[in-house]
Amino acid sequence: MKKTVDVAIPIGPVHPCWKEPVRIKCETKGEQVLSVEVELGYMKKGIERIMRGRPWQEVMFLAERVCGICSVVHNMVFIETMEAISEIEPTERAAFLRVIVNELDRMQSHLIANFSYCYTIEHETLAMYLLNEREHVMDMIERITGNRVNTAYMIPGGVRYDLRPEDAESLRETLALLEKNLDRYMRIFENGPMIALRSRDIGILTKEDALMAHAVGPTARASGIATDLRTTHPTYRKLDFEPVVRTEGDNYARIMVRFEELFRSIGLIRRALAMMPEGPVRGGGICKGGEIRYSGEAPRGELTYFVKADRYGRVEDIAIQTPSIMNIDACTHHMLKGVLSVADVTATFISSDPCIACNER
Amino acid sequence: MTGMLQKMKNAVRSRSIHVTYVDTGSCNGCDIEVLACLSPRYDLEQYGIYVHNNPREADVLLVLGCCTPQWEDKLKGLWEKIPEPKVAIAIGNCPLSGCVFNREGSYVNPPASKHIPIAASVPGCPPRPTEIIRAILSLAPTVFKDYEEKRE
Repeated sequence: MKKTVDVAIPIGPVHPCWKEPVRIKCETKGEQVLSVEVELGYMKKGIERIMRGRPWQEVMFLAERVCGICSVVHNMVFIETMEAISEIEPTERAAFLRVIVNELDRMQSHLIANFSYCYTIEHETLAMYLLNEREHVMDMIERITGNRVNTAYMIPGGVRYDLRPEDAESLRETLALLEKNLDRYMRIFENGPMIALRSRDIGILTKEDALMAHAVGPTARASGIATDLRTTHPTYRKLDFEPVVRTEGDNYARIMVRFEELFRSIGLIRRALAMMPEGPVRGGGICKGGEIRYSGEAPRGELTYFVKADRYGRVEDIAIQTPSIMNIDACTHHMLKGVLSVADVTATFISSDPCIACNER
Repeated sequence: MTGMLQKMKNAVRSRSIHVTYVDTGSCNGCDIEVLACLSPRYDLEQYGIYVHNNPREADVLLVLGCCTPQWEDKLKGLWEKIPEPKVAIAIGNCPLSGCVFNREGSYVNPPASKHIPIAASVPGCPPRPTEIIRAILSLAPTVFKDYEEKRE
């Protein structure tokens, strides 16, 4: 059949549903979307270029400003890369504290992703509920690390501050509150008939397509691929982590995977609090030279740092591969193809949780 | 008569501020703090502030990020689309100085006041939601008060 394009609709770069600038060009036939192109490059700052030639102490702060939403995991993966180069081991208590802060960061990232989706499908009540829950998580991050967004909590050999007993107690209380509230919100999402109309069987990413597009993170796990780098991380292995996998591969599954991961994170933090031994949180150690490729699981999927450092710990070369670029590719070439309505383009795009600041750096 | 009309306009404008935000290359940290203002804890709308991203309806423009080359013309275009009276607030360190990104070799071109007139700034990396709300609330009434009389 001959492909006839009625209208080419540009969406963006400034759009009410998006936090970040990105432009989507849709070729439509009537309401049906034939093909989609994503135009990136509005946020290119050249972070990797200014990282080169700087000591790791400076690169550490630049690394967490790659992405403001998942700043903790950028910090964690960069520091673990430097630790892998220099053969430093974090102290046992610090390793558990890293997991606690990383899981809190993952929770706030998933909550804001689900907020964006609910806001996009115009279920504003649930969106505001989720945004309010996020504030409880942000309070905990602030209480433990001292700042809300860019925390710089991890350093080679350990973490900056110890968790005081009263903070641990308030963390337990907050987790109980979050579990109670999130259970209710997950059921609202699960059983809402209007939500199902906007989410079920829309933007389907089959397992084959997900493998072909190398989808990562919750997007891949919603399509039935059990990929989660937390299963290979030594501290997470002590905590018996099991990834969440769903098989539907539509918008609904991607949001539900994030909801279920919130509960996994709550469980992980609880187990980490219970298993955490007493002891020092700063092990010390001197960063040495070498080059290595190291990956960790960010809230959006696999995050890889390639670092080449000289013998004083200066970063000679660095390359960052962030998860969103894979998911945007999967989203444009597979999910958005043949979407039945233009209104679903924004919702489907948001459901893959793209982070443009991560992508373009 | 005009005095009364002006008074009415002042009263309405002080309780109805439409905000649009534009991300010119931030790390997302300030974006999520602006979004956090929407949450019921901070509750922007109780002050009569409404956030939406349509520049043609906006009174206040929040500029985030360190002005990447792609935004040089677009930021100006966006500013021109906003109807008078209007005001721009820079959120975070990035539109003021470029923060950590303003180093040799990067592509950024701060400050934002090079491109559009900035009336106020909220420094911080990122600033807290309460600070953002306070900046909007303290600036907007003084700028919009007796706007028509001042223009004459």
